[in-house]
Amino acid sequence: MAMSKGSLALKTVKKIVVAFCPFESNAKASREFLALVGSEKTRMTNLNCEVTVNIKHDKSEPVIDVTFVDGEKLLMNGTNLTSKEMLSAFISRCTVKESQMMEGTKK
Amino acid sequence: MRGGLLQESLASGRMMAATLSCGVSLLRGWLPSVRNVRHGSKAVTRHRKPMHFLKQKLMAVTEYIPPKPVIPDRCLKPLPKRNQEESGLVRILKREVDMMFQNNKMIAVFQNNSSSSEDLLLIKYRLQKHDITVKFFPNQVMRSFLSTSKYINMLPLFVGHNVLLVSREPKTKEMLKVVKNTPQISLLGACIEDTILSHKGVHDYSRLPSVAVIQGQVVGGLTQMTSQTRDLIRHNPLYLSMLLKRYVDQPNNGKEGTEGAEEIEKKQTEPS
Repeated sequence: MAMSKGSLALKTVKKIVVAFCPFESNAKASREFLALVGSEKTRMTNLNCEVTVNIKHDKSEPVIDVTFVDGEKLLMNGTNLTSKEMLSAFISRCTVKESQMMEGTKK
Repeated sequence: MRGGLLQESLASGRMMAATLSCGVSLLRGWLPSVRNVRHGSKAVTRHRKPMHFLKQKLMAVTEYIPPKPVIPDRCLKPLPKRNQEESGLVRILKREVDMMFQNNKMIAVFQNNSSSSEDLLLIKYRLQKHDITVKFFPNQVMRSFLSTSKYINMLPLFVGHNVLLVSREPKTKEMLKVVKNTPQISLLGACIEDTILSHKGVHDYSRLPSVAVIQGQVVGGLTQMTSQTRDLIRHNPLYLSMLLKRYVDQPNNGKEGTEGAEEIEKKQTEPS
Protein backbone atom coordinates (compact mmCIF):
# COMPACT_ATOMS: atom_id res chain seq x y z
CA MET A 1 0.00 0.00 0.00
CA ALA A 2 2.87 2.36 0.78
CA MET A 3 4.30 1.81 -2.67
CA SER A 4 0.98 2.53 -4.34
CA LYS A 5 0.52 5.66 -2.25
CA GLY A 6 3.89 6.93 -3.39
CA SER A 7 3.12 6.26 -7.02
CA LEU A 8 -0.41 7.62 -6.80
CA ALA A 9 -0.17 10.36 -9.40
CA LEU A 10 -3.18 12.45 -10.29
CA LYS A 11 -1.69 13.80 -13.49
CA THR A 12 -4.44 12.37 -15.66
CA VAL A 13 -7.21 13.30 -13.27
CA LYS A 14 -9.20 16.47 -13.61
CA LYS A 15 -11.62 16.29 -10.73
CA ILE A 16 -12.54 13.98 -7.86
CA VAL A 17 -15.84 14.37 -6.02
CA VAL A 18 -16.41 12.23 -2.93
CA ALA A 19 -19.97 12.28 -1.67
CA PHE A 20 -21.01 10.45 1.49
CA CYS A 21 -23.28 10.65 4.49
CA PRO A 22 -21.18 10.67 7.67
CA PHE A 23 -23.94 9.37 9.94
CA GLU A 24 -24.20 6.17 7.89
CA SER A 25 -22.02 3.18 8.65
CA ASN A 26 -21.30 2.47 4.97
CA ALA A 27 -19.23 5.62 4.58
CA LYS A 28 -16.05 4.25 6.16
CA ALA A 29 -14.41 3.07 2.94
CA SER A 30 -15.18 6.30 1.13
CA ARG A 31 -13.72 8.31 4.01
CA GLU A 32 -10.54 6.26 3.91
CA PHE A 33 -10.31 6.69 0.16
CA LEU A 34 -10.74 10.43 0.58
CA ALA A 35 -8.01 10.54 3.21
CA LEU A 36 -5.64 8.73 0.84
CA VAL A 37 -6.48 10.81 -2.21
CA GLY A 38 -6.73 14.14 -0.44
CA SER A 39 -3.35 13.95 1.27
CA GLU A 40 -0.76 16.65 0.62
CA LYS A 41 1.64 14.38 -1.24
CA THR A 42 -0.99 13.12 -3.63
CA ARG A 43 -2.38 16.56 -4.27
CA MET A 44 1.07 17.95 -5.00
CA THR A 45 1.40 15.59 -7.96
CA ASN A 46 -1.20 17.65 -9.78
CA LEU A 47 -2.19 21.03 -8.45
CA ASN A 48 -4.87 21.46 -11.11
CA CYS A 49 -6.82 18.48 -9.88
CA GLU A 50 -9.74 19.46 -7.65
CA VAL A 51 -10.66 17.19 -4.79
CA THR A 52 -14.11 18.14 -3.50
CA VAL A 53 -16.07 16.67 -0.64
CA ASN A 54 -19.86 16.62 -0.72
CA ILE A 55 -21.35 15.81 2.68
CA LYS A 56 -24.96 14.76 2.57
CA HIS A 57 -27.53 13.72 5.16
CA ASP A 58 -30.09 11.78 3.12
CA LYS A 59 -29.13 8.13 3.87
CA SER A 60 -27.88 7.78 0.30
CA GLU A 61 -24.99 5.55 -0.77
CA PRO A 62 -21.50 6.98 -0.84
CA VAL A 63 -20.36 7.75 -4.38
CA ILE A 64 -16.93 8.64 -5.71
CA ASP A 65 -16.92 10.43 -9.04
CA VAL A 66 -13.61 10.75 -10.86
CA THR A 67 -13.33 12.80 -14.05
CA PHE A 68 -10.21 12.27 -16.13
CA VAL A 69 -8.52 14.79 -18.38
CA ASP A 70 -9.75 13.11 -21.56
CA GLY A 71 -13.37 13.25 -20.40
CA GLU A 72 -13.75 9.69 -19.14
CA LYS A 73 -15.60 9.26 -15.87
CA LEU A 74 -15.16 6.64 -13.18
CA LEU A 75 -18.08 6.20 -10.81
CA MET A 76 -17.59 4.04 -7.72
CA ASN A 77 -20.33 3.10 -5.30
CA GLY A 78 -18.61 2.73 -1.96
CA THR A 79 -21.31 0.84 -0.06
CA ASN A 80 -19.83 -2.63 -0.35
CA LEU A 81 -16.28 -1.86 -1.47
CA THR A 82 -13.19 -1.51 0.67
CA SER A 83 -10.87 1.44 0.29
CA LYS A 84 -8.10 -0.86 -0.99
CA GLU A 85 -10.24 -2.16 -3.81
CA MET A 86 -11.32 1.32 -4.79
CA LEU A 87 -7.75 2.55 -4.69
CA SER A 88 -6.45 -0.32 -6.81
CA ALA A 89 -9.17 0.23 -9.41
CA PHE A 90 -8.40 3.93 -9.47
CA ILE A 91 -4.65 3.42 -9.77
CA SER A 92 -5.00 0.88 -12.55
CA ARG A 93 -7.10 3.34 -14.55
CA CYS A 94 -4.61 6.11 -13.89
CA THR A 95 -1.66 4.04 -15.10
CA VAL A 96 -3.52 3.06 -18.27
CA LYS A 97 -4.29 6.70 -18.97
CA GLU A 98 -0.73 7.76 -18.27
CA SER A 99 0.68 5.17 -20.65
CA GLN A 100 -1.79 6.35 -23.28
CA MET A 101 -0.70 9.93 -22.70
CA MET A 102 2.98 8.98 -22.96
CA GLU A 103 2.35 7.20 -26.25
CA GLY A 104 0.46 10.21 -27.50
CA THR A 105 3.25 12.64 -26.62
CA LYS A 106 5.91 10.37 -28.14
CA LYS A 107 4.07 10.28 -31.43
CA MET B 1 51.35 -34.20 -12.40
CA ARG B 2 51.47 -35.06 -8.76
CA GLY B 3 52.94 -31.65 -7.96
CA GLY B 4 50.24 -30.01 -10.02
CA LEU B 5 47.56 -32.02 -8.30
CA LEU B 6 49.10 -31.23 -4.95
CA GLN B 7 49.18 -27.53 -5.83
CA GLU B 8 45.57 -27.66 -6.88
CA SER B 9 44.59 -29.49 -3.76
CA LEU B 10 46.59 -27.00 -1.73
CA ALA B 11 44.90 -24.06 -3.45
CA SER B 12 41.46 -25.55 -2.97
CA GLY B 13 42.35 -26.40 0.56
CA ARG B 14 43.45 -22.83 1.20
CA MET B 15 40.23 -21.50 -0.20
CA MET B 16 38.26 -23.88 1.92
CA ALA B 17 40.24 -22.88 4.95
CA ALA B 18 39.66 -19.25 4.20
CA THR B 19 35.93 -19.66 3.90
CA LEU B 20 35.10 -22.40 6.42
CA SER B 21 35.98 -22.37 10.08
CA CYS B 22 39.39 -23.47 11.32
CA GLY B 23 37.99 -26.54 13.01
CA VAL B 24 37.01 -28.06 9.71
CA SER B 25 40.47 -27.49 8.20
CA LEU B 26 42.11 -29.10 11.21
CA LEU B 27 39.84 -32.12 10.85
CA ARG B 28 41.03 -32.51 7.29
CA GLY B 29 44.54 -32.72 8.54
CA TRP B 30 45.85 -29.33 7.53
CA LEU B 31 48.61 -27.87 9.64
CA PRO B 32 47.93 -24.46 11.17
CA SER B 33 50.75 -22.97 9.10
CA VAL B 34 48.79 -23.68 5.92
CA ARG B 35 45.77 -21.85 7.25
CA ASN B 36 45.09 -18.71 5.32
CA VAL B 37 44.60 -16.18 8.08
CA ARG B 38 45.27 -13.05 5.98
CA HIS B 39 41.91 -13.16 4.25
CA GLY B 40 40.01 -14.28 7.31
CA SER B 41 37.34 -11.72 8.09
CA LYS B 42 36.13 -11.08 11.61
CA ALA B 43 33.10 -12.87 12.98
CA VAL B 44 31.69 -9.85 14.79
CA THR B 45 31.26 -6.84 12.48
CA ARG B 46 29.57 -3.51 12.84
CA HIS B 47 27.49 -4.01 9.69
CA ARG B 48 25.26 -6.97 8.97
CA LYS B 49 27.62 -9.62 7.73
CA PRO B 50 26.23 -11.30 4.59
CA MET B 51 25.46 -14.94 5.14
CA HIS B 52 27.64 -17.46 3.40
CA PHE B 53 25.90 -18.86 0.39
CA LEU B 54 25.84 -22.35 1.79
CA LYS B 55 24.39 -21.08 5.02
CA GLN B 56 21.78 -19.15 3.04
CA LYS B 57 20.81 -22.30 1.21
CA LEU B 58 20.57 -24.23 4.45
CA MET B 59 18.40 -21.59 6.06
CA ALA B 60 16.11 -21.49 3.03
CA VAL B 61 15.72 -25.24 2.97
CA THR B 62 15.12 -25.58 6.69
CA GLU B 63 12.60 -22.72 6.96
CA TYR B 64 9.59 -23.43 9.18
CA ILE B 65 6.37 -24.03 7.24
CA PRO B 66 3.44 -23.93 9.67
CA PRO B 67 0.76 -26.58 9.15
CA LYS B 68 -2.31 -25.21 7.38
CA PRO B 69 -5.64 -25.81 9.13
CA VAL B 70 -8.20 -27.96 7.34
CA ILE B 71 -10.73 -25.09 7.22
CA PRO B 72 -9.05 -21.74 6.49
CA ASP B 73 -9.45 -19.06 9.17
CA ARG B 74 -11.38 -16.79 6.84
CA CYS B 75 -14.25 -19.26 6.61
CA LEU B 76 -14.72 -19.61 10.37
CA LYS B 77 -16.32 -17.12 12.71
CA PRO B 78 -13.70 -15.23 14.72
CA LEU B 79 -13.34 -16.16 18.38
CA PRO B 80 -14.95 -13.65 20.76
CA LYS B 81 -12.32 -11.22 22.00
CA ARG B 82 -11.94 -11.02 25.75
CA ASN B 83 -12.76 -7.58 27.11
CA GLN B 84 -9.51 -6.09 28.20
CA GLU B 85 -9.58 -3.74 31.14
CA GLU B 86 -9.20 -0.10 30.20
CA SER B 87 -5.78 1.32 30.78
CA GLY B 88 -5.27 4.37 32.98
CA LEU B 89 -4.63 6.64 30.04
CA VAL B 90 -7.93 5.67 28.45
CA ARG B 91 -9.74 6.45 31.69
CA ILE B 92 -8.09 9.86 31.98
CA LEU B 93 -8.93 10.67 28.38
CA LYS B 94 -12.53 9.58 28.92
CA ARG B 95 -12.80 11.94 31.86
CA GLU B 96 -11.39 14.72 29.72
CA VAL B 97 -13.96 14.01 27.02
CA ASP B 98 -16.72 14.07 29.63
CA MET B 99 -15.53 17.45 30.92
CA MET B 100 -15.30 18.73 27.37
CA PHE B 101 -18.92 17.79 26.66
CA GLN B 102 -20.08 19.40 29.90
CA ASN B 103 -18.20 22.68 29.58
CA ASN B 104 -18.56 23.39 25.90
CA LYS B 105 -21.77 24.23 24.15
CA MET B 106 -20.40 23.57 20.68
CA ILE B 107 -18.47 20.48 19.65
CA ALA B 108 -17.92 20.14 15.92
CA VAL B 109 -16.43 17.04 14.28
CA PHE B 110 -14.31 17.46 11.17
CA GLN B 111 -12.49 14.97 9.01
CA ASN B 112 -8.92 15.99 8.27
CA ASN B 113 -7.40 14.69 5.06
CA SER B 114 -3.78 14.48 6.18
CA SER B 115 -3.28 18.18 6.69
CA SER B 116 0.27 19.20 7.43
CA SER B 117 1.34 20.67 10.75
CA GLU B 118 1.70 24.16 9.21
CA ASP B 119 -1.89 24.13 8.02
CA LEU B 120 -3.07 22.95 11.42
CA LEU B 121 -1.09 25.70 13.11
CA LEU B 122 -2.67 28.31 10.86
CA ILE B 123 -6.15 26.98 11.53
CA LYS B 124 -5.47 26.85 15.27
CA TYR B 125 -4.25 30.43 15.26
CA ARG B 126 -7.24 31.71 13.32
CA LEU B 127 -9.68 29.90 15.59
CA GLN B 128 -7.96 31.03 18.79
CA LYS B 129 -9.11 34.55 18.05
CA HIS B 130 -12.72 33.38 18.46
CA ASP B 131 -11.97 31.21 21.53
CA ILE B 132 -12.38 27.98 19.59
CA THR B 133 -9.94 25.21 20.54
CA VAL B 134 -8.76 22.30 18.44
CA LYS B 135 -8.77 18.89 20.13
CA PHE B 136 -7.69 15.41 19.15
CA PHE B 137 -8.83 12.24 20.83
CA PRO B 138 -8.22 8.61 19.86
CA ASN B 139 -11.25 7.02 18.21
CA GLN B 140 -11.26 4.14 20.66
CA VAL B 141 -11.69 6.48 23.61
CA MET B 142 -14.39 8.53 21.89
CA ARG B 143 -16.35 5.47 20.83
CA SER B 144 -16.27 3.86 24.26
CA PHE B 145 -17.39 7.13 25.86
CA LEU B 146 -20.16 7.86 23.36
CA SER B 147 -21.62 4.36 23.50
CA THR B 148 -22.43 4.89 27.18
CA SER B 149 -23.53 8.53 27.00
CA LYS B 150 -26.60 10.23 25.55
CA TYR B 151 -24.67 11.25 22.42
CA ILE B 152 -24.70 7.72 21.07
CA ASN B 153 -25.93 8.90 17.68
CA MET B 154 -22.60 10.58 17.05
CA LEU B 155 -20.87 7.18 17.03
CA PRO B 156 -20.70 6.69 13.25
CA LEU B 157 -18.88 10.00 12.85
CA PHE B 158 -15.78 8.78 14.66
CA VAL B 159 -14.18 6.64 11.97
CA GLY B 160 -10.78 7.51 10.55
CA HIS B 161 -8.88 10.76 11.09
CA ASN B 162 -10.96 13.33 12.98
CA VAL B 163 -10.46 16.76 14.47
CA LEU B 164 -12.72 18.27 17.12
CA LEU B 165 -13.34 21.99 17.30
CA VAL B 166 -14.84 22.97 20.62
CA SER B 167 -15.90 26.27 22.09
CA ARG B 168 -17.88 27.44 25.09
CA GLU B 169 -20.17 29.64 23.04
CA PRO B 170 -21.69 28.37 19.80
CA LYS B 171 -19.81 30.52 17.31
CA THR B 172 -20.72 28.74 14.13
CA LYS B 173 -20.44 31.69 11.74
CA GLU B 174 -16.82 32.45 12.59
CA MET B 175 -15.89 28.78 12.58
CA LEU B 176 -17.43 28.21 9.18
CA LYS B 177 -15.70 31.28 7.77
CA VAL B 178 -12.30 30.04 8.87
CA VAL B 179 -12.89 26.48 7.72
CA LYS B 180 -14.41 27.48 4.38
CA ASN B 181 -11.07 28.20 2.78
CA THR B 182 -9.24 25.14 4.07
CA PRO B 183 -9.78 22.09 1.87
CA GLN B 184 -8.00 19.82 4.27
CA ILE B 185 -10.74 19.62 6.86
CA SER B 186 -14.42 19.07 6.11
CA LEU B 187 -17.36 19.35 8.50
CA LEU B 188 -19.12 16.09 9.29
CA GLY B 189 -21.46 17.04 12.11
CA ALA B 190 -21.72 18.90 15.38
CA CYS B 191 -23.30 18.80 18.81
CA ILE B 192 -24.50 22.32 19.61
CA GLU B 193 -26.29 22.88 22.95
CA ASP B 194 -27.00 19.17 23.37
CA THR B 195 -28.48 18.87 19.88
CA ILE B 196 -26.78 16.74 17.26
CA LEU B 197 -26.73 18.58 13.96
CA SER B 198 -25.67 17.54 10.50
CA HIS B 199 -23.61 19.56 8.02
CA LYS B 200 -26.70 21.34 6.72
CA GLY B 201 -27.99 21.83 10.26
CA VAL B 202 -24.84 23.68 11.25
CA HIS B 203 -25.12 25.97 8.24
CA ASP B 204 -28.78 26.72 9.04
CA TYR B 205 -27.85 27.34 12.68
CA SER B 206 -25.22 29.85 11.65
CA ARG B 207 -27.82 31.77 9.65
CA LEU B 208 -30.16 32.11 12.65
CA PRO B 209 -30.42 35.61 14.11
CA SER B 210 -29.65 36.28 17.75
CA VAL B 211 -31.96 35.19 20.62
CA ALA B 212 -33.26 38.73 21.32
CA VAL B 213 -34.33 39.19 17.71
CA ILE B 214 -36.12 35.84 17.69
CA GLN B 215 -37.90 36.64 20.96
CA GLY B 216 -39.06 39.93 19.52
CA GLN B 217 -40.37 38.16 16.42
CA VAL B 218 -42.30 35.60 18.49
CA VAL B 219 -43.87 38.29 20.67
CA GLY B 220 -44.77 40.30 17.58
CA GLY B 221 -46.42 37.29 15.96
CA LEU B 222 -48.51 36.50 19.03
CA THR B 223 -49.72 40.03 19.56
CA GLN B 224 -50.51 40.45 15.88
CA MET B 225 -53.73 38.41 16.15
CA THR B 226 -55.03 40.31 19.14
CA SER B 227 -54.21 43.67 17.57
CA GLN B 228 -56.07 42.67 14.40
CA THR B 229 -59.25 41.77 16.33
CA ARG B 230 -58.98 45.00 18.30
CA ASP B 231 -58.79 46.98 15.06
CA LEU B 232 -61.80 45.19 13.58
CA ILE B 233 -63.95 45.83 16.64
CA ARG B 234 -63.05 49.48 16.83
CA HIS B 235 -63.36 50.09 13.11
CA ASN B 236 -67.14 50.75 12.92
CA PRO B 237 -67.63 53.15 15.85
CA LEU B 238 -64.50 55.05 14.83
CA TYR B 239 -65.80 55.51 11.31
CA LEU B 240 -69.18 56.63 12.61
CA SER B 241 -67.63 59.18 14.95
CA MET B 242 -65.45 60.50 12.12
CA LEU B 243 -68.41 61.05 9.84
CA LEU B 244 -70.45 62.76 12.59
CA LYS B 245 -67.56 65.06 13.28
CA ARG B 246 -67.31 65.99 9.60
CA TYR B 247 -71.03 66.66 9.56
CA VAL B 248 -70.75 68.91 12.60
CA ASP B 249 -67.78 70.77 11.11
CA GLN B 250 -69.56 71.52 7.83
CA PRO B 251 -70.54 75.22 7.37
CA ASN B 252 -74.09 74.65 5.88
CA ASN B 253 -75.63 72.13 8.21
CA GLY B 254 -79.32 72.86 7.43
CA LYS B 255 -79.48 72.17 3.67
CA GLU B 256 -77.29 69.19 3.55
CA GLY B 257 -78.61 67.90 6.81
CA THR B 258 -80.94 65.31 5.25
CA GLU B 259 -78.38 64.30 2.58
CA GLY B 260 -75.76 63.90 5.24
CA ALA B 261 -78.08 61.69 7.28
CA GLU B 262 -78.77 59.47 4.23
CA GLU B 263 -75.07 59.22 3.55
CA ILE B 264 -74.42 58.17 7.10
CA GLU B 265 -77.18 55.54 6.94
CA LYS B 266 -75.77 54.11 3.70
CA LYS B 267 -72.32 53.91 5.13
CA GLN B 268 -73.58 52.31 8.29
CA THR B 269 -75.29 49.53 6.35
CA GLU B 270 -72.30 48.91 4.06
CA PRO B 271 -69.73 47.67 6.60
CA SER B 272 -72.31 45.42 8.34
